[in-house]
Amino acid sequence: MRGRLVLQYAVSAAVIVGAIALWELGVKTGYLKAYQFPPASRIAEGFVEIATTGFPTGITIWSHVLTTVTRILQGYLAALALAIPVGLVIGAFPLVNKMLEPVIVFCRSIATLSLLPLVIVWFGAGELTKVILIAYGCFWVMLSNVIAAVVYVDPVLIRAGRSFGLKGVALYREVVLPAALPRMFAGARMALGVGFMVIVGAEMIGTIEGLGALIMEARTFYRSEITIIGMLVIGVLGFVISTGLAALERVLLPWGATGEGARA
Amino acid sequence: MNRERLTNIALPLIGTLIVVAVWEAASRLGAIDPRVFPGPVTAIAEAAGRLSADTVGEHMAWSLFRVFSGFALGVAAGVVIGVLAGWYRWFGLIARPLIELLRPIPPLAWIPLAIIWFGLGEPSKFFIIFLGAFFPVVTATYHGVTNVDPILVRAARTFGVGGWSLLARIVLPAASPDLATGIRIGWGLSFGVLVAAELIAADRGLGYMIMNERNTGGSVSVIIVGILLIGFLNLLTDAAIGSAIQRWIGRWHGSGV
Repeated sequence: MRGRLVLQYAVSAAVIVGAIALWELGVKTGYLKAYQFPPASRIAEGFVEIATTGFPTGITIWSHVLTTVTRILQGYLAALALAIPVGLVIGAFPLVNKMLEPVIVFCRSIATLSLLPLVIVWFGAGELTKVILIAYGCFWVMLSNVIAAVVYVDPVLIRAGRSFGLKGVALYREVVLPAALPRMFAGARMALGVGFMVIVGAEMIGTIEGLGALIMEARTFYRSEITIIGMLVIGVLGFVISTGLAALERVLLPWGATGEGARA
Repeated sequence: MNRERLTNIALPLIGTLIVVAVWEAASRLGAIDPRVFPGPVTAIAEAAGRLSADTVGEHMAWSLFRVFSGFALGVAAGVVIGVLAGWYRWFGLIARPLIELLRPIPPLAWIPLAIIWFGLGEPSKFFIIFLGAFFPVVTATYHGVTNVDPILVRAARTFGVGGWSLLARIVLPAASPDLATGIRIGWGLSFGVLVAAELIAADRGLGYMIMNERNTGGSVSVIIVGILLIGFLNLLTDAAIGSAIQRWIGRWHGSGV
């Protein structure tokens, strides 16, 4: 079994290396245009440039990453700080939940980026606009997951808690909350995925800092290799964040394996 | 039973009305500045005055045409590649690493490259919407096909079913719940990507309509109505696709997903 896994990784690596080599060859022989398909060698040169002198000059890839991550975290944390208490309250009152359900579903189906023109009118094209958009996208995803987590707690657990004499707030704190945590965590993971989607789009307008701005700027200056580097960095960042959160979930909440379920 | 059904309809309705009423009241009473955030009545009246039904209809038709064609291409490609990768080992070995490598890149991050490859016209938009649907569908299809109960496949072989007919009559139906999940996620992504693509680089469509309104210093009302329209469109199409999938799967799996 282990041997087969190693073999599989070897084949995967060979396929990727082969694809890159073919690509390089395609450009060398002139079948692919270097501007449209910058080969690996150009991408490597571009990476050295962007890691040292930066693009646009002075802004290195590391500071682009830092800008993007800071924006995501600000919006994301604000959304969680708001969505968790609100969701816990709504979930505790079935009547309120039923009344607000259509509103929440509707707000969730508004494509976050469609709010961009409105938020620009309200707050200008600066930092705040980007943070608000991320917060909006994360908030509704988190909110509906928190509510669902509370509503779908196994009724057997609640009855068991009652027969041990728990009720009211104590029941909620001792039984409902721990049982709801795994689903809430899955929601938090999904929300981060949404925030990551939103930021790339939000950064394409009205800024030159951040990964979304980097790939768009690079295109206007005909530096397609820098666009590709930016895309790869975005991909790696997303991958690291999602696997990191999944690992964190296994450590923090060993009793509720939600597994691969929630990838947004 | 009847009472329960009544509250199931009445409560959401009352809740929605309360929220809309609070919004309207807040702008009427001056709690929020109606020039910046008009109430629903004002917004709709003002937008109706500035936009003709034809213009809105045309933008909406373009948006729907783009998202449906990109999505359909993405689903088709995702199903074909997912099935092949799951069914033929050698194809899976080649396709999987490439897919896994590109999958973590969000579709919006492809916009600049799509413009480099396809120019600023329609094809670049189709491509990005295509990607939004492709990755969830291909992953879900692969997962579904590789996790089909081997007993089903062996039973079918015993009855002399093989090759393509085994794939079409046993494997695909067995994988259909996974496929359905992938398609739902893919639709959501395609739609979100559509709006973003229209905001950033387009000259028609609902996303362009609201961005243009703000760039030309038009009215907030039009932007708000446009946003609500996009929301409703997403909600309706998602529900339609959901029920279509459910009917399709119901043929093999009894009730719902």
